[in-house]
Amino acid sequence: MDGMRGARRSSTAAGAGIPAVNGATDVSTVEVAFDVNGVGCALRLDSRVTLLDALRDHLGLTGAKKGCDQGACGACTVLVDGRRVVSCLMLAAQCEGRRVTTIEGLSDNGAPHPMQAAFARHDAFQCGYCTPGQIMSAVSLLAEGRAGSDEDICEYMSGNLCRCGAYPNIRAAIRDVAASEDA
Amino acid sequence: MTAAGSRVIIGAGLDRVDAPLKVTGGAQYPNDFDYPGMVHAALVRSTVAVGRILAIDAAEARAAAGVLAVITFENAMRLSRGPMTLLGPSPPAPLQNDRILHYGQHIAVVVAATAEQARHAASLVRVRYEDVEALLDIDDPAAPVVENPWRLDTERGDVAAGFAAADVVIDNTYTTPDNTNNPLGLMATVAIWHGDALTVHDSTQWPHNVRTSLATIFNVPESGIRVLAPYVGGAFGAGLRVWPHVILAVLAAREVQRPVKLVLTRPEMFTSVGHRPESVQRLKLGATRAGDLVAVQHEAVSTVAMDDDDYEPVSQCSAVSYACPNTRTRDRQVRLNIPCPGSMRGPAEGQGNFALESAIDELAHELAMDPLELRLRNFAAEHPVSGLPWSSNALRECYTRGAERFGWSRRGPEPGSMRDGHRLVGYGLAGVSYPGYQVPCQARASLNRDGSAFVRSAATDIGTGTYTVMTQLAAELLGLDTGRVRFDLGDSDMPYSPQAGGSGLTGALGNAVHVACRRLVREFLDLVADDAASPLRGARLDEVEVSDGRIHRAGAVGRGESYVDILARHGLEELGADGRSTPPLPEELGMAIAGAFGAKFVEVRIDPDLGLLRVARVVSVIDGGRILNEKTATSQIIGGTVGGIGQALFEDTVTDSGTGRIANATFGDYLVPVNADVPDMEVVFVGEPDRATPVGTKGVGEIGLVGMAAAIANAVHHATGRRVRSLPITIDQLML
Repeated sequence: MDGMRGARRSSTAAGAGIPAVNGATDVSTVEVAFDVNGVGCALRLDSRVTLLDALRDHLGLTGAKKGCDQGACGACTVLVDGRRVVSCLMLAAQCEGRRVTTIEGLSDNGAPHPMQAAFARHDAFQCGYCTPGQIMSAVSLLAEGRAGSDEDICEYMSGNLCRCGAYPNIRAAIRDVAASEDA
Repeated sequence: MTAAGSRVIIGAGLDRVDAPLKVTGGAQYPNDFDYPGMVHAALVRSTVAVGRILAIDAAEARAAAGVLAVITFENAMRLSRGPMTLLGPSPPAPLQNDRILHYGQHIAVVVAATAEQARHAASLVRVRYEDVEALLDIDDPAAPVVENPWRLDTERGDVAAGFAAADVVIDNTYTTPDNTNNPLGLMATVAIWHGDALTVHDSTQWPHNVRTSLATIFNVPESGIRVLAPYVGGAFGAGLRVWPHVILAVLAAREVQRPVKLVLTRPEMFTSVGHRPESVQRLKLGATRAGDLVAVQHEAVSTVAMDDDDYEPVSQCSAVSYACPNTRTRDRQVRLNIPCPGSMRGPAEGQGNFALESAIDELAHELAMDPLELRLRNFAAEHPVSGLPWSSNALRECYTRGAERFGWSRRGPEPGSMRDGHRLVGYGLAGVSYPGYQVPCQARASLNRDGSAFVRSAATDIGTGTYTVMTQLAAELLGLDTGRVRFDLGDSDMPYSPQAGGSGLTGALGNAVHVACRRLVREFLDLVADDAASPLRGARLDEVEVSDGRIHRAGAVGRGESYVDILARHGLEELGADGRSTPPLPEELGMAIAGAFGAKFVEVRIDPDLGLLRVARVVSVIDGGRILNEKTATSQIIGGTVGGIGQALFEDTVTDSGTGRIANATFGDYLVPVNADVPDMEVVFVGEPDRATPVGTKGVGEIGLVGMAAAIANAVHHATGRRVRSLPITIDQLML
């Protein structure tokens, strides 16, 4: 982890957008700027805010989901500088100057990413809650060169839980996209 | 009325209509909603399992940054307990007194400007409890026992005489642990008051129940309450009740006069929204040497909370699964200081079937008979309790087709006789007779002036495919392309729908949509009844067909006209009709209302040195009546099967025997199946449309899970000779 690289810390009564209610003065805030889906953003946040909560609660990008807030379910998976991370285990303050890609940034001018289309075609979800994280992981899997065999797909997709049990269809979707990329 | 071209729409593997939203992150779940001025709630939970709160000190929390309110039993408004529901009494209202009934009970709610502030302030609330010993063990003789809790115990024939006459008797005890539903979606409530009116986003399977309950609890008119749940992040039963945290979010919003969001944490999900209760089951079978069952006795004990109730008739399955003249089933509940159990995918059946289908396998082994043959031999051609013919039953075909697809004939009869290299191979089988369930439901269908249709009901789609299959059904019934039909749900302002639960929604809602759509066509016929300009003038409903956005006379496509033309000529912007379905009644139909039937065939591979167990193959053959969408129905069965693998091999909610604390309340500690635990699997549907209802479906949401635990345990026995009667089946039980 790169820790607090570049983040500017300050200690004030309340961050921008945080209504001062009690007037207590123990809230540490940070200013952080990073790129989300190709758009630069600058935020002043409670230093405890995770990347996941920054995306969801401060940037209105609710595609990434909170399933455990403990890094154990993968529903919050996003790409940071092209690598998948569980955004609930990363503080927003760690993202200074980084490039974040979420499910909302995956489509190309409104055309679904091939992985999104494959998930729909193979019915690779049911409730859909884990789906943004599954798709971000699956996209990353291809980039990592780990979608070449079922064994690899099983292994490297096992950090993304699906309680509805769509695993066989998730594998089918990934196989499908991997095969078309090879072709 | 029939619909031309229906084969294209129904049964076809149409992609989910909500797929584009779900794959882009656009589907909005309850905790995705945000309102101007919205503040956040966090819960304080009891750290003891029983006793009274002696002191609760919230001063530091109240002084913490961002805090708007800390509500405890000392300052909470008085609330009524929720009403009696279809599923039994409501949970007790929270914060009404100083009593603690279970570990994790919500004893305060903190509201602050941000979620971080609320959670921090919640950690500052100090509580002192009276020191009392909790009842936490199902075997504790001091625990109150409820006999025959639902008056569903059964007795037929003479069980004692049956056992006395039996050549072979099998008598064993099976145990299943607490399991926690753990949908991926953290359950969340967003509440916004406007005077006495209230809008609530909630992770519910049943918006109308939330509306009715909140109206009772807060003593406000039901008509002012709107409950929204267009998308729910799974539930598996956890969203069937109006749990205390829902009430607390609404209470907090009332207190601070701002929109409030409350999202449960994963550990809170283990103590706040129900769980599958543990069970101890004694199952005794008597049979002739030829393999005819002559006596079945199933006695089950489950756990339940102190001041709450749960419907979980575990032994019921043994009364209805096999033809046997002498049968007795008994259920008891032991009251403990535990969070209240509740339905979890395949409630009761999931536990009871494990005991029954394990015992059948044990009997087959004792008789040196193929377990498939034993099941076929004792097939219940009529409903064993009522004696009525089934409205549909293709269980025999489930067995025979499954055996064929799986290659059951390759099974060597002796345990330990099959190997693949070093690994032991086991084949296992279980049968499932899932109960039929349907309750009243309503829907409304409208046709717009442009010829598109809007159909809706306050149901939920928790991943079940309801949006999609109801779109298909309405499209067929109105003769429209699916792209011209919008089916909407998840809003209590829509016509009444029951819960997505009990595998009953597709039947209830499908038949309501059926009636609404047929009535809508009749409305069109009424409009043109005396219309000299219409080729449909005077036509009755049974004399017409619908296709391509038109109504025409049966067998004469040219003699009709479009919805658009009729609406335009009569100066109408839209035409609508309501539909209502009621459950089919066995006594009226002279048939026993069938649920789904199924057979599960499983192959396991076990490393004899390490005890490592892998499920290598699963074939599920299901009689689900008429299948509206093979793609989503297959997903339901696969998903249930994955849940069954979890029940069989992983899931075990561990309660600390001293404090009642859940010792493994995270996804790192409570194991659920991951991708690498689940093989590709085959699902086959057999059978015919069910005769009890016009639409002919039978629910397939839960049957996929049921039978897996027994099929895996039976396969383990076949692989190793070791009989595991206690779930989950773990490595230590397999060290050979």
